[in-house]
Amino acid sequence: MRFDATELTAEELDLQAEVREYLDKRLTPGSYPLGLGMSGAVDPEFSRDIGSRGWLGMSLPQKYGGGGRSAVDRLVVVEELLARGAPVGYHWIGDRQSGPSIAANGTEEQKQHFLPGIARGEFSFSIGMSEPDSGSDLASLRTRAERVDGGWKVNGTKIWTTGAFHATHILALLRTSADKHSGLTQLIIDRHSEGLTVSPIPFIDGSEDFCEVSFQDVFVPDSRRLGDVGAGWGQNTGELALERGGVDRWMSLMPVLEHWAAHQAADGGPAALADLGSITARCWAFRGMSLSIARMVDAGRSPVTEAALIKEMATRFEQDCVAVVSRHLGRAPDLASEDPYESLLARAVLVAPSWSIRGGTNEILRTVIVKGLNR
Amino acid sequence: MNSVSQHNDYAFDADLEAMVEQFFAEKSDADVVAKAEVEGLPTGLWDAAVELGLPLVGLPESAGGSGGSLLDAVTVQRAAARHAAPLPLAETYLAGRLAVAAGLPVPAGIATTAPGSHRDTATFDVTVSGTLYDVPWAGAAAVVAVILGDRVVILNVADAEVGDGTDLAGQPRQSLTFTGAPAVIGENPVDVRLLSRLGAFLRSVQMAAAMEAVSTLTQRYVSERVQFGRPVAQFQAVQQHIVTLAQMASMSTLAVDRTAIALNTREAEFEVLATKLVVSQNALLSVRAAHQAHGAIGMTQEYRLQQLTRRLHAWRCEFGDEIALAVQLGRGVSASPSLPRLLTDPHPTLELTS
Ligand SMILES: Cc1cc2nc3c(=O)[nH]c(=O)nc-3n(C[C@H](O)[C@H](O)[C@H](O)COP(=O)(O)OP(=O)(O)OC[C@H]3O[C@@H](n4cnc5c(N)ncnc54)[C@H](O)[C@@H]3O)c2cc1C
Repeated sequence: MRFDATELTAEELDLQAEVREYLDKRLTPGSYPLGLGMSGAVDPEFSRDIGSRGWLGMSLPQKYGGGGRSAVDRLVVVEELLARGAPVGYHWIGDRQSGPSIAANGTEEQKQHFLPGIARGEFSFSIGMSEPDSGSDLASLRTRAERVDGGWKVNGTKIWTTGAFHATHILALLRTSADKHSGLTQLIIDRHSEGLTVSPIPFIDGSEDFCEVSFQDVFVPDSRRLGDVGAGWGQNTGELALERGGVDRWMSLMPVLEHWAAHQAADGGPAALADLGSITARCWAFRGMSLSIARMVDAGRSPVTEAALIKEMATRFEQDCVAVVSRHLGRAPDLASEDPYESLLARAVLVAPSWSIRGGTNEILRTVIVKGLNR
Repeated sequence: MNSVSQHNDYAFDADLEAMVEQFFAEKSDADVVAKAEVEGLPTGLWDAAVELGLPLVGLPESAGGSGGSLLDAVTVQRAAARHAAPLPLAETYLAGRLAVAAGLPVPAGIATTAPGSHRDTATFDVTVSGTLYDVPWAGAAAVVAVILGDRVVILNVADAEVGDGTDLAGQPRQSLTFTGAPAVIGENPVDVRLLSRLGAFLRSVQMAAAMEAVSTLTQRYVSERVQFGRPVAQFQAVQQHIVTLAQMASMSTLAVDRTAIALNTREAEFEVLATKLVVSQNALLSVRAAHQAHGAIGMTQEYRLQQLTRRLHAWRCEFGDEIALAVQLGRGVSASPSLPRLLTDPHPTLELTS
């Protein structure tokens, strides 16, 4: 397992400067609700604004409204957004995952229809994989899509579907035959289809982003099938390097960390400074790894094992950061605090355990890593 | 094998890497390392390394070195550490670097440096008096290079009273006491942090390489060791140790590589501190995971693992312990305007106080 050392080029640094300049004005402190990384607030207007600047769908082909740029360029933009706790909730999944997946697996018509909307920040995607009886073991999925005239009829329930409430589309993995792995197919489903009901599942911190999605004879035209019938499983593993290796796996707490470093740590004496030093060093090390992964993707490789290796430890590290900063606060942070950083820290205390569950649990990732190492 | 992407101007030399890897693989097996713990420096091995010019790789030929870049020096130290080579390679290189920085010729023969213990009492006027503590390979070295004030001072070990002692890996580590000893003093003043910076970096290089070796060794062992009718590698709980080892090694090696490249053009103080801190912390986790996965055999002297893990313990504490490094780094970060800007800066700089 070897990561190549790499740094940003002059052009990439220019992009970074441009993004900073814009975000410093667009997201002045206090003008937006601070978010924890990828679970930032939902703000379609903000998503459209950065879409109009070319900072969404950056690696999608230009022909379909994308930027035709590299994974590293995307990383440069994303880390600026996450550092500020920006309201990325509306576009996050489409930009990171569904867009690239449609670009890789979709028909010409699908690409023309979906990719420009993703790049403009108009479409919001949700991932419909998990089901009540099927989490880690996705091969056991049961929600069915049956052939009907002109398309598919979907029945069943998806759960833990982040953002389904405000989504325009759900990219769902569905059972199309009994065959364990090759009986799974992905459909791009309009969130407002008849028979599709979304019910929020109140989350531990009181937020309502987490949803149950039930399908009752929902009709999906065959033109919304992503790739071949039975190809869903393979398409899913292809997405994983994008989903798992990014800076979003260790930057959730960054707004709090930045604030703590600049305004509070020094008052905590040597113990706080030592913790700050350790956290900084590890952030720097993780950043190098995420950047290295993005370069691998740009080189046409599929660093699935590397991405799993990072995510497994980065999500534990994020959780450690929450514990460290809370410890130095000296009391339990208050969700209702007037200090936005304290209330964000309070939310982090509550939701941090989920960071090593979403996107594949750490237990599952360890198996992925070991298989990769043995290859 | 190490490669560096086209996004950097510097690259590690794959031929050199292959050559030194083969050299140490052949010449520094477990028996050689064990014997050195009892008998001290294996002179045959040292002579063979000298013949290839290895101790002075990365030091300019004009000053008496073997030539090559810092990255070449890293390549040599890395291969040596992977095989726990019981040789003062890092120390000799470091002393050479100090000499060169001060405008002095690279010392001939085995050289070492004093890492700068807070107990040190050596001072110089025209001559040097006082004691230097915890000097690696002191007894085997011809000279010791130290920074006193802002000058590099080179002393003959023959003029010193040499104490006793070894580090946790059984490698010599002694005190040197001088009384009015004559010294060669560098013309150019040097940055007083030069020694601690390079020392911290070299120990990071060695630790990352040892972690790679520990990771490979453990992965191999658990796939051969059978319990309950199957290789223990098939148990998830054991796999977790394998994952930890791969994580710690790959993260450490990448940090070292990035810092090596940065050091080619600047002092890279931030990266050196961050790397030593991350690598030292990772070393402890690697040691625990590797021993746990090995069970009892890993604790025995006859088995290779302990030669590597004891070195990790020794190196972690040299040229900056974790608390000191973390406080120093944290103080710098707390004085800087923005943590994320620091992290995304290609040339992160900090106001550091030593
Ligand atoms: C914040 C958050 C957002 C999410 N968003 C989405 C989303 O948008 N779309 C979506 O489809 N899903 C989403 N999920 C669901 C997530 O993908 C699943 O929670 C996850 O895959 C685990 O499945 P599970 O919860 O059913 O746990 P289970 O699979 O029931 O696992 C329970 C425990 O058993 C362990 N375990 C299970 N199998 C094994 C094994 N083979 N070896 C070792 N240990 C094992 C697990 O690691 C875990 O510790 C989200 C989850 C969270 C927490």
